[in-house]
Formats: sequence, structure tokens, C-alpha cells
Amino acid sequence: MSIEVRHITKTYGSFTALRDVSLHVRGGELMGLLGPSGSGKTTLLRIIAGLEEPDPGSGTILFHDEDVAGRGVGQRRVGFVFQHYALFRHMTVFENVAFGLRVRPRERRPSRSEIRDRVHALLALVQIDWLADRYPSQLSGGQRQRVALARALAVEPRVLLLDEPFGALDARVRQELRRWLRRLHDEIHLTSVFVTHDQEEALEVSDRIVVMNAGRIEQVGTPEEVFHHPAGEFVMHFLGNVNVFQGRAQDGRAFFGPIELPADSPYRSAAGQGRAFVRPHELEVELHPAGAESFPAVVAHIHAAGAQVRLELQTPAGETVQAELPHARYRELGLARGTRVYLRPKTIKVFVDDYVI
Amino acid sequence: MSGPTTSRVLRPGADWRRATREPAWVRRLLIALALGFLGLFLVMPLVVVFAQALERGPAAYLAALADPDTRAAVRLTLLAAAVAVPANVVFGLAAAWAIGKFNFVGKSLLTTLIDLPFAVSPVIAGLVFVLLFGLHGWFGPWLDARGVQVLFAVPGIVLATVFVTVPFVARELIPLMEAQGHEEEEAALLLGASGWQTFRRVTLPNVKWGLLYGVILCNARAMGEFGAVSVVSGHIRGLTNTLPLHVEVLYNEYDFVGAFAAASLLTLLALLTLVAKSVVEARAQAATRAADTLREADG
Repeated sequence: MSIEVRHITKTYGSFTALRDVSLHVRGGELMGLLGPSGSGKTTLLRIIAGLEEPDPGSGTILFHDEDVAGRGVGQRRVGFVFQHYALFRHMTVFENVAFGLRVRPRERRPSRSEIRDRVHALLALVQIDWLADRYPSQLSGGQRQRVALARALAVEPRVLLLDEPFGALDARVRQELRRWLRRLHDEIHLTSVFVTHDQEEALEVSDRIVVMNAGRIEQVGTPEEVFHHPAGEFVMHFLGNVNVFQGRAQDGRAFFGPIELPADSPYRSAAGQGRAFVRPHELEVELHPAGAESFPAVVAHIHAAGAQVRLELQTPAGETVQAELPHARYRELGLARGTRVYLRPKTIKVFVDDYVI
Repeated sequence: MSGPTTSRVLRPGADWRRATREPAWVRRLLIALALGFLGLFLVMPLVVVFAQALERGPAAYLAALADPDTRAAVRLTLLAAAVAVPANVVFGLAAAWAIGKFNFVGKSLLTTLIDLPFAVSPVIAGLVFVLLFGLHGWFGPWLDARGVQVLFAVPGIVLATVFVTVPFVARELIPLMEAQGHEEEEAALLLGASGWQTFRRVTLPNVKWGLLYGVILCNARAMGEFGAVSVVSGHIRGLTNTLPLHVEVLYNEYDFVGAFAAASLLTLLALLTLVAKSVVEARAQAATRAADTLREADG
């Protein structure tokens, strides 16, 4: 079941949450909506679910080529998982999951034994069958999120929408649960959209990522695409750490902070103010200058607890630069605070104002 | 779940208390003052009511209660409460549902208006009804021409009782519903529940203890209301006297046993209310605690 969002705009008073947003989610895909708070990602999700109405006359939502704009929340058959679970607190886990089946009109309601079998099958699917008689207050956060998911799946939704599904969990549970969600999705292949502000989560779980900012979609692509080929400065900034150097290109030469772009760089033909972006792991740390774009810096801080060693360095002009290198390379160089090194960018991404190459 | 946590918190408290204690004579003096005040202003009146009521023995007490006028007063009081409490439940639920779950223009005005009966003196509330339904009032002549008497009759007493009790259920439920938000209702709608199913299966069970608490308070006030009812009643014995009014009438006639026997009924109601209130409060707190742990999750 594909989802098609066409030219949706949503305003709250004078605040525009979504500006003419269009999006296609393919059937069976797990799509991540990624963006900072206030970027409109949750609003978009709630509009797809039918919990919010888009501005009148602004656009349509199609589920598998069928316009659902006029359909109420209950008729769209979406499964929705809330960030804070929204479990019915006065019902047991079993009753929570059975709710969607029990409220059906009599002619479509499954029999008691069918409901029981289906609920237990779902609880087994989310691996909490043994908690059926507990109340939500007796469960851990991770268990509650599994109940919320089972409850959403009980009504056999056509699409599954998850609003910051792991946002309220601690780091370890979050990692575990998102891997599990990815595996679950590979099993049931239900078209799913989830909202997150955590780029690591989006990159790890999604088939494709939608990066949103200020009510607009900045880029849609696979995790590899958005990470390695960001469409704009915002995406570059938002996905992972990055060093930014202010500068300008003029008369065939381009200076960005301490970096002069090599003569064969295509950016040199551009003209105007701009910014050069270099990811910390794409800065080669060396003890001697190598090449024209190599620039000096002094090690200011060393964070060695992690998979990579993170360095904070200071250029002679006073700019702070971050670099990452493997532990083996770090020991080989024998770095300490105050060591003078040379940094050589392996990949530079340049954005010149009104002129993106 | 919360049991062991509480005791763990309390154990270091013992040391803390020793370190911050006042000298013995100060503590005894304060306790004596508090007990003296309690005895003088709370326990003694309670004892006096029952002592006076039973002054001439249980037979006289029961005879006073069996008096037809007293029984009529009891019936009228029960009737007023029987109308006021359900009216309050319906209005309170509707108002709290609207205020707690939706945003609309005039919301804060409505919230303030609900408190109006608490803010004005009950006597004024009664006078308002005299102005509206009296023979020289706005609707009085029109109603009188059609043979409907509101003032100095049962409808006036019921109206005044409903007016003074309006805030009870709504005030209990508004903060509760606001705190609970509307995510559970959204979840229910998304799962295909109708509006009514959502209300009955999700919203109502979530506020049941608050609702019951409001009903208990509302009932106590409906039965005990004096000022507003006194203005609209006309004090016709056996017809328009509620229990509190009847107590006053009997007392003014120096029928002390009768007055205090009727008063003892109201006192018993008060004691019963307090017991019910504390039971409901304990249950509601347990429910809130469960909800809090639900919200905090473990992350």
C-alpha cells in the first residue's frame, strides 16, 4: 500500500508547519522522517493519519491511489504508535491490544475466541506474550512500546505510522528496539513511516529518509545518498558532525578559512560567498604538510573513549576544527595536547550562495 | 511497587528527624495547642449535637425523627440532591470534556464562570432566583399565568440547589482531564472506535475516581445547603423545608430534641461523606501514581 502526499500545506495561525509538501512512500517501504523539532515532521505524520486536517484546498493524501482526504481517522485503517505510547492505562495489555477488535460493529467483530487467538499471536510477534495480564504501569518503557505496536497492528492496518517511537527510551533499549523494529518490518513488509529527530536512528533503520526543515522537504533518499550526497547545507549540517569554513570563491581562486581549494577543483570557477563542509573523519591528520590544501593546527582536546579518537584542534586563526581518526593511527602519530599537526581534507563539499554545484 | 520505594526513602528520614527536632517542651506545647483547638472547635460540637439529640433518651430521639414534618424535610432534601447530583454529573462531564480536551474561544471565560457559584454568597444566589421567578420578576408573571409556581415551591429549591453545586464535578474533572491530555482518545479513534465508544471505554474510566469524588462533595453540599435555599423556600412546614431549614425552624421553636435529632442526620451525612471521600481519595491517588509511572516510563 503506497502513500502519496500531494501539495499539503498546514498553518497554525501565523505559523506555517508545512509548506506545499509532496512525498511518495512506496508500498512495503520503511521510511524515516528526519528533522529538528518544529520542522513539521510530526505534523505531516498526523496529517497522513487523519489526526490533523491539511489547510483547506491545499492538497490530497492518497493511499494506493485512493483519496482518503474525506475519510475520518477511524476509516483510514492506519496503525499509529505514539511517542508516549498512549496505552489505555485502565486496561491490561491484553485488553489494550484487543480494543481495536472489540469496538468493531457487531457484524464485523471477530468472535471472542478469535480475538483471543489474534491478540496472543500479536503479543507473541512482539515477544511479550507473558505480559498479557499486566497493566501498562507495571511495564518498562520498551515493553510498553511493544504493546503499543501490537495494538496498532491488531486492526490489520494498511500503513503503520510511528511518531518518535523510541524517543522516550534510554539509549540501550532504544538501539535494541530499533534493530528489532527493522527485523519486524522485514518480516511483515507493512508500509511504514516513522518520525525521528535522531539521525543515527534514521540512518540505521530506514529504507529511505526524508530530511525536513522548517516545513519543507530538503531531501529524499537512501541513507547512503543523504549522508554522502547531501542536497544542501541543512542536510550536510543535520546528518552527522561537520566542520564549516566560511569563505569565498573569486577570480579562479577559492579560500575557505585555512583551506585553499586545489587548482583542479570545479568550485574555483564559482564566484561569491560560501561555506566549505568537511566531515571530521575526512580530515587526514599528519605530522608534516602534504599538498596545497594541507593546513596547520594544534591539538586542543583528545577524546579517546570511543570507536574512534576524536580530536579538537585549533588553527592559527583561532578556528576550532574537529577530526576523527582510528586508534591505531592515533598511537602511530603519538599525539598529545599541544602537538602541532597538519590537516588535509580528503573530501570537501562547497556551497556557494545562490550557486550550488 | 511503590511500597519498598517509600520505606527506603523513609529510613534515612529517622536521622533527619532527630537532627531537626525541637526541645520536648516546645513539641508538647504545640501538640497540646493543636489538640485543644481540635477538641474545642471540632469534637465538642459533634458531641453536643448527639448529646442534645439523645438528651431525653433514644425513644424521644426516634419519635422526633418520625415527626411527619421532619420526614417531609428529609424527603425534600433527598429530592433536591437526587436532581442536583445527576445534573451536576452531566454538566460537569460535558464542561470538563470541552475544557480539558479541546481549544476554543472563550475557554478561560467558561472556566471562570463555572466558579461563579463558589464566588457569590449563597444568599445572593437565592435572591437572583427571586428576581427571576418572583411575582414581580422577569419570568414570574408569565409562569404564574400558566399556573407554574417556582418560588416558595419545590422547583425553586431544586433550582437553587443545582446552582450552588454547579462547580463541584467540573472542578474535579477539569484539571484531571487536562493532565491526561487527549492521546488515549486519539489512539482509540485511530483504532476505529466511535466518539461514544471512546468516551465510554477510555475517557470515563480514566476519570472515574475524580468523578466519584466530585459527586460525594456535590451531594454533601446539595443536602447541606442553607443560604440560597432559605431565600427561595418560603419555609412552609412539611412542604418547602429542607433538612437544614427544618433544623432552624425547630430550634427557633425551642424544640431542641427535634432540632438536634434532625441535625444529627446531617452530621451523620457529613461523617459518612468524610469516610467516603477519604476512601475515594486513596483510590484516586493510587490511580494517579500508576498514571505517573506510566508517563515517566523508564527512559
